[in-house]
Amino acid sequence: MAELLEVNGISVTFDGFKAINNLAFSIGYAELRAIIGPNGAGKTTFMDIVTGKTRPDEGSVLWGEKSISLLSKSESQIANLGIGRKFQKPTVFEDQSVRDNLMMALKAKRTPWAVLFHRGSDGETARIEELAAEIGLKDALDRRAGDLSHGQKQWLEIGMLLAQDPQLLLVDEPAAGMTVDERNKTTEILKRAAKTRAVVVVEHDMEFIRNLDCKVTCLHEGSVLAEGSLDFVTSNKDVIDVYLGR
Amino acid sequence: MNGLLTKFLLKNPSVLVFLGALALFTAFVSVGSEAFGWGFISTSFVKTLGKTLCFCLIAIAMDLIWGYCGILSLGHFAFFGLGGYMLGMWLMYARTEIIVQTAMSNEVIPPTDQEVIDAIGTQIFGVVGGSDFPMIWAFAHLFWVQLALVVLVPGILALVFGWLAFRSRVTGVYLSILTQAMTLALSLYLFQNDSGLRGNNGLSGLQNLPGLDDVSQDIVSMWFFWASAFALGLSYLLVKLITESKLGNIVRGIRDDEARVRFLGYNVEGYKLFVFVLTAIIAGIAGALYYPQAGIINPAEIAPIASIYLAVWVAIGGRGRIYGAVIGAAFVSLLSTWFTGGQAPDIPLGFYTIKWVDWWLVLLGLSFVIVTLYFPKGIGGLFDRLVRKGDA
Amino acid sequence: MLRVLTLFLGLLLAVPAFAQSSLYDALADQTAGLKKPSSKTIETVISGLQDSGAPGVANFLTKLQSKEVWYRKSDDKFFFVATDDKKTYRLIDIESGEVVAEVAKKEIKQIKPNSGVRAKIDGALVAFRLTDADPAVRDAALVGISRDPKAKDLAPLTAALASETDPDLKARMERLSRILTVSFGDTTEARVAAIESFDGDLGLDARAVLNPLVTTKLKAAPEVGVDENVAKTLRLGNDISEEEAFALLVASGLAQAQPTKDDIKAALKANIDGDTVGGVMVADLGTDEARLAAYMALAASGEVPAILTSEAKAELLASATYYEVYAEADPAVTAAAVEALSSISTAVGVSQFIDLVLDGISLASIYFLAAIGLAITFGVMRVINMAHGEFIMMGAYTGYVVQQIIPNYTVSLIVAIPAAFVITFAVGVAMERLVIRHLYHRPLETLLATFGISIALQQIAKNIFGTQARPLTSPGWLDGALVFNDVIAISWIRIAIFVLSVIFFLGLLFVLNRTRLGLETRAVTQNPRMAAAMGINPDRINMLTFGLGSGIAGIAGIAIGLFAKVTSELGSDYIVQSFMTVVVGGVGNIFGTLAGATMIGFLQKGIEWFNPSNTLAAQTYMIIFIIIFIQFRPRGIIALKGRAAGD
Repeated sequence: MAELLEVNGISVTFDGFKAINNLAFSIGYAELRAIIGPNGAGKTTFMDIVTGKTRPDEGSVLWGEKSISLLSKSESQIANLGIGRKFQKPTVFEDQSVRDNLMMALKAKRTPWAVLFHRGSDGETARIEELAAEIGLKDALDRRAGDLSHGQKQWLEIGMLLAQDPQLLLVDEPAAGMTVDERNKTTEILKRAAKTRAVVVVEHDMEFIRNLDCKVTCLHEGSVLAEGSLDFVTSNKDVIDVYLGR
Repeated sequence: MNGLLTKFLLKNPSVLVFLGALALFTAFVSVGSEAFGWGFISTSFVKTLGKTLCFCLIAIAMDLIWGYCGILSLGHFAFFGLGGYMLGMWLMYARTEIIVQTAMSNEVIPPTDQEVIDAIGTQIFGVVGGSDFPMIWAFAHLFWVQLALVVLVPGILALVFGWLAFRSRVTGVYLSILTQAMTLALSLYLFQNDSGLRGNNGLSGLQNLPGLDDVSQDIVSMWFFWASAFALGLSYLLVKLITESKLGNIVRGIRDDEARVRFLGYNVEGYKLFVFVLTAIIAGIAGALYYPQAGIINPAEIAPIASIYLAVWVAIGGRGRIYGAVIGAAFVSLLSTWFTGGQAPDIPLGFYTIKWVDWWLVLLGLSFVIVTLYFPKGIGGLFDRLVRKGDA
Repeated sequence: MLRVLTLFLGLLLAVPAFAQSSLYDALADQTAGLKKPSSKTIETVISGLQDSGAPGVANFLTKLQSKEVWYRKSDDKFFFVATDDKKTYRLIDIESGEVVAEVAKKEIKQIKPNSGVRAKIDGALVAFRLTDADPAVRDAALVGISRDPKAKDLAPLTAALASETDPDLKARMERLSRILTVSFGDTTEARVAAIESFDGDLGLDARAVLNPLVTTKLKAAPEVGVDENVAKTLRLGNDISEEEAFALLVASGLAQAQPTKDDIKAALKANIDGDTVGGVMVADLGTDEARLAAYMALAASGEVPAILTSEAKAELLASATYYEVYAEADPAVTAAAVEALSSISTAVGVSQFIDLVLDGISLASIYFLAAIGLAITFGVMRVINMAHGEFIMMGAYTGYVVQQIIPNYTVSLIVAIPAAFVITFAVGVAMERLVIRHLYHRPLETLLATFGISIALQQIAKNIFGTQARPLTSPGWLDGALVFNDVIAISWIRIAIFVLSVIFFLGLLFVLNRTRLGLETRAVTQNPRMAAAMGINPDRINMLTFGLGSGIAGIAGIAIGLFAKVTSELGSDYIVQSFMTVVVGGVGNIFGTLAGATMIGFLQKGIEWFNPSNTLAAQTYMIIFIIIFIQFRPRGIIALKGRAAGD
């Protein structure tokens, strides 16, 4: 099949509130996609469903060439299938060094025994250096992650995602609270990543999305309102109505 | 493997410092003991010190599960008690068997096997009005099996309980209360006379090693002291190996942000279960070493309050640093012995005399509040500060 | 004899009230029979006296029975006589009870009724008491009969029933006469009818009289006796084991007792001959087989009784019939009794179930009271307060102290409730200000710090009040129980606690949902910064809410102290259950706590019902159940869903 992830007809209700309503969405193997939408449109809930945090009431979520259903899988299983997720708030392990953070994320056996007797190989060390260079934290490898700046934490988290070597990256508001320079750098990192894998970015900042230069999906009240280039979507009458609250 | 250990020790000199200190302390106590030295340390104090080492051992387990993995277990003394019961069963059975056989050897007609077993049963269970051996005593005559059970019973209980609790994603204070309920349930169960473990009488006479009646308690106490010190050193090394490995990083990651670890692809429940079971086993071993020194075990030992004191020790010692747990357990439990033993001088205030036997717990409770509020890193935290100053 | 009694009772009842004459006149007619009473003459005497309707007959008969009636030889006049020194005797008038003369012994003669006469008097007296004018005497007579029912009581009872006017006494007489009829009725029909009248009856007396009718005895005999009322024939091996059957044979003298292992051992010991016994070395006797062999050898030489071979034993066993036989000989009666008892046990079962439900409700309200304060601090504020139990304890001690000052229990209770609230409220606020405030959002550390406080408070209470339990006495109007029937009863204290918990439930529902404080509390809980921006002072709200939760714990303490002993450990006995209640019910709302308390209360009572002797085991199983329950509903019975629930 041509698509990496195919979401069909999912709905989920919280205490009578329909957070996701018959949503359909798909993304290819090497594609960059931006998701926009007003608050409460269901962007985060959508990510929760794909990553296994929330179970939908109905619908299907199919993954990869073999069309595996993700609905019965746990979060860690889904992550191991190749879906990485970055949260809205930067969540890195603040008590540990940047190197340890990346080491934990690095693709390797994930059972307690394997981890207990794990010794960093030269290949892994090299890969970590490479990743650190990619996210601009080469000089900060042995610093405590908690001592990093806000933007650096965001990059570290993206770096950890890349270390997992996932086929699909779900990135929630990566540019929030960044300076212009930092944003540009983030754009670069994401665009580069999307060359070899699928990347889904949820963002409010239109300027940032314009720089990403990719297909845009606009969500509203839990379903897709419009899909296409940024210009196409922003000129859509429904989208304007929703954003301007008409 | 040897090379690995050397490398590890070189990387973590603090482990060497700890093991060295422990060895020195053991040597000092040996030299001072009545059995093998000048005798300025009384046998009963050797036992107190040995028991304190066992407390340090379970404190290590507590620190691993709480300080590193973030699970505030209020039930680890259940495992401690179970370990003690498992070894206690053999000690009591084997010793009673010798006593019964000696008594019966005077009879004209040699006793049958069944008569011997019945007599042992009456000796052990007469106090709860029974004489039959319950199922759980099936292996009590086999030392090696009971020794294995010291590890297996706490381990399996932790496995089942942990699997249930972690699977349903019970976390935080809920989990703490659930572990407390576990130990409460166990102690209430053991309080019954038909629990098969002699109800609130518990198991007694554990300080006497079967077949070694000729060996004085002076010597036996030193054996157990050495065993406790050895177990403490080994566990310290093992736990340190874990915390300094990638596993340690992940476990700390779980403590700080469980969901993130999960999305990194780690099966968080499996890791928690691993740590929970491991610490339960360490607690069981600590209990098996403790109760032969205490001489008696009864269900009151695993009442919820015991596990809370364990948390108090670790918190005061400073959690998240293994040596902190050891210092906390040793410091608080020895202090507690001193205060409640009536050795501390009373303070006359004129209108009222503060008797430490009565007021020690008040002092402990309040100092615990103060430590939680103002010194969350505990005594170990003060240590860290000193070391860092030394560096600068 | 019975018939005679019935007859004279009938006569007695027929006597109209105006026929009263003096006791002297009545006695004068019976002088001859009285002076030398025999079981033949006494009946005439008694009936004559009764016919006379004279006052004091009963008293006279009582004295006669205890040999206190004498007569003066000179004029055959009857007196009661008392003496201190056995020399001078005081004559007491039988009507007025006054001493009328002092005489020497030779002037008077004692009437000495024999045992047969005394028994007849006794029977007559029952009738007298049952028809006495004073209801209290009748009542006492009834109690006396029901305590020790005898066949002879039946007739007077039936007779007295007709004339009884007090409806309550009449009902009791009627019931008692049926009870007596069950055991002592003349005809099978009468007994069966009486038995059937107790169908579904819950009274203990009914069961007490019916159960002996269906008791059976195990018997072994070559054949069932002709007049035996057999309950069940037992098949060997199925209904009765061979050992039991053989023991029965031995007991019935149909077989010789076989030596037990101990007997064998003793026999061997007694027959030791040098190193051997029965040809076996003594040192080899450490197995049952060796001992048996030695014993057989001894038996063969006739020194000890032989052991039956298994064939002989089987033959013996087969030769007899084994059956259960009723102690009651009449099959119609036993059949009716079995029927009546089964209907009674159904009725008792229903009542017991209702009683269990009531017990469950009462336990649930206790848990609810203990947990409700916690539901506020933990459920609404998400603050874990391990010292909650100590607030309960403080409340109970407050009640105790107030009772020491105010001796009137009702007044002291009225004073103690607000006092407990105020004190625990104050301590709660102080604790919130000094400790908990600094630990918001660090739940595990709050748990630990409050534990420290709990340890300290408990020890302080111990230092002040000592370790022995202090009584918190409930006022008189809370004593006793509301009794529905012999099975269903509920003590007033428990009803009061139920009412209190209902009041708390409704009150808190009102406070949290309908008042400004409730609204602000919820606002602060959900979004403290937003609430602050809207002018709500979160510090003040947290303080008040915590104080409220603590104050309620204080009042709960008084309620719990009324039925449990007040000790420093009172609180810690309830803390785990309280947390369970809140967690099982679902954190964050009062309905959840109600559901949790109901579930835990009923569960515990239910488990206790299966295993009533063992409340420890019941608690163990309950906790295990809760641990498993949380597997399936981690967020409790009434769970908040979706994002609001958070993580």
